[in-house]
Amino acid sequence: MSQIDRRQFMVHAAGAVAAIGLMPDSLPAAVRRPGSAPLPIALIGAGRQGRAMLVELAKIDAVKVVAVCDSDERRLDAGVRRVADAEGFADHRALLDKRKDVAAVLVATPTHQHKDIALDAIGAGRHVYCEAPIAHTVDDCRAIASAARGKRLAVVPGLEGRSNPVYQLAFGFSRSDAVRDIVAIRAQHCQKTSWRVPASDPARDRALNWRLDPDVSIGLVGELGVQAIDVAHWYRGRFPTTVSGSGSVRFHQDGRTVFDTAHADLHFDDGVRLGYFATLASSYESRHELFVGSNASIRLAWSHAWMFKEADAPTQGWEVYANRQQFHNDEGITLIAGATKLAEQGKLKEGVGLPHPSLYYALSDFFRAAIEGAAPAATIEDGMRASAVAILAHQASVAGAAVPIPRDILG
Amino acid sequence: MPPRLALAAMGTRFEVVLAGGPDAFLRAAGDAALAEIEQWDRRLSLFRPDSTLAHVNRHADAGPLAVDDELFELLVACRDLHAATAGAFDPTVAPLMRALGLHTHDQRHRPPGGVPPLEAVGFNAVDLDASRRTIRFTRPGMALDLGSIAKGHALDAAADVLRDAGVECAMLQGGTSGVVAIGAPPGLESWRVRLPPPLQGRAGEGLASAQPGPRVPLVARLRDLALSVSAPGGRVVQGPDGPVTHVLDPRTGRPARVASVAAVTAPLARDADAWSTALLVDPGLAARAPATLGWAIGRDGAWTTGGLWIEAPAGVAEVS
Repeated sequence: MSQIDRRQFMVHAAGAVAAIGLMPDSLPAAVRRPGSAPLPIALIGAGRQGRAMLVELAKIDAVKVVAVCDSDERRLDAGVRRVADAEGFADHRALLDKRKDVAAVLVATPTHQHKDIALDAIGAGRHVYCEAPIAHTVDDCRAIASAARGKRLAVVPGLEGRSNPVYQLAFGFSRSDAVRDIVAIRAQHCQKTSWRVPASDPARDRALNWRLDPDVSIGLVGELGVQAIDVAHWYRGRFPTTVSGSGSVRFHQDGRTVFDTAHADLHFDDGVRLGYFATLASSYESRHELFVGSNASIRLAWSHAWMFKEADAPTQGWEVYANRQQFHNDEGITLIAGATKLAEQGKLKEGVGLPHPSLYYALSDFFRAAIEGAAPAATIEDGMRASAVAILAHQASVAGAAVPIPRDILG
Repeated sequence: MPPRLALAAMGTRFEVVLAGGPDAFLRAAGDAALAEIEQWDRRLSLFRPDSTLAHVNRHADAGPLAVDDELFELLVACRDLHAATAGAFDPTVAPLMRALGLHTHDQRHRPPGGVPPLEAVGFNAVDLDASRRTIRFTRPGMALDLGSIAKGHALDAAADVLRDAGVECAMLQGGTSGVVAIGAPPGLESWRVRLPPPLQGRAGEGLASAQPGPRVPLVARLRDLALSVSAPGGRVVQGPDGPVTHVLDPRTGRPARVASVAAVTAPLARDADAWSTALLVDPGLAARAPATLGWAIGRDGAWTTGGLWIEAPAGVAEVS
């Protein structure tokens, strides 16, 4: 076969394989509400996450934020200022009572306040997007899932992996011969920050610094680890049976007791372990998950994903197209959402990295469920399981011991 | 030691120094300020495909595109600054920069050669609808590059975070070219920033030909004030008429060839940022600068200052 023939053959073969091999590989269409006015929604919790939501919500034509709620006066003021024509509320019950037009609420308050808000909103017949972890105790997680059961409402946890197009694409690979046997999972969240909110007034300080309050905080492993834990649940299609952990205050010696560096080892019954690590002392390698497989390993980093092949793994046709990136001695194949279409258009390089933050896809997925009745990528049961495991992982890290994960919370 | 925190963002290094409170409080405030800068980096980056700016650049030519209120407010400020500087500050210069290969991080856009698409430049062709909070590009091929205002805007937002938290003494700087001073250092009347003597020669004439001129440094005194310094530097590419620096006159599509450095003080860092860019391109605009601005323009080795520029060392000529 001549050089040119061979190349043409490869490209054709690649096209054929890509069409099969990259099936889940597309970017979702924008949520629409044809012929109707935008769905009125409310934001409950106008802190940092709530503000990030507002940025993404502005891109979604199908909804309009008509009310903002926060019990902190200054945050409420800032929230209302950021949304034209939105009505401000200091209390979520007042919002639900007065604004009957609000069809859906987004809950971005401190974790320990989620349950009351979610139950009230579900009781008032509103769709609910609840940030993950969905609650700070296993009982509260159960209560939210239980309240949502049997209701004709979209009650969706803020687990961003499942609706993320790059994670969906990588999920297909993780279940195929491309990765083969997953033998280990490693995940981390490293960020150099104090996790403390500056407040000169002591009353505000306690309320705003709930993450550092051992009475309500579920620590780094619980608050941050929940996303990676859910991705592991999803990719593995099974749940860990025990979790062990440890942690310490290694860097921020400011009187805090909530760890600034923590580890958790989540053991699956087939011998696979998820090793999770989080710290507030370093930003090195930021936030990612690594699934180690016998044919390839997949590294997921929210807007990007890469596959690192073993030398003895079979070459797949679509690799002809692939964009590659060097990581020291390893070469990663960039996993690109919408690759098949982009490859046809000769624009594969432009597809490196998602066109929106993963929060956009999670919110869009929720609205698709609320408006069109579509099944959400992450169910509230997924949210309950990931949150409960994250809470137990936090407890294990505080105890420095192994904690069993009861089967009954995993449903 | 007062807490000193830093962050890598917007292709440069941001730093905050704080004083006048308990360490844990100041560190938390500094963290919050840097987190504010980081989130503006994520939103305004020209090089991240998931930034809001990239979203605007992909879709605003197809029709009115809704953006969040915070970004809309910044776009309105851009429009006002574009008008006030007679077009010398113009965030629509992106296609021109791209055509000349001046986007250093943007690996996807190689200089295609040929004539720079000057018709795609001009903020007056950006349609902003205040009632619907939408933006629309009215000419094909347009794109926004907020590089000459993003740093200033992020510094302003970060300074607001510090003030809201109750910090009364801090200095924020980004890339050594943008500074916001809150209050003054303990025991002093103001923060002092020393600007090195300007190079001999002018921007656009090639940095290699620049010679150190008479040693005339300049000190800015800042108290509750912002400072921005613009100078051609960074990437230099070979254009048809010689070396091209990253400072272009958006009105002609050619490199600025007038001043070698321009510094501006203003209540807001974003105004200082935009005006220092504009004065580098067209120093004559100093005559129409708002009364709240102070400015210093360096060329041929010497500084010229005016407006509310606070400290002028002896021997510096005042502009008539």
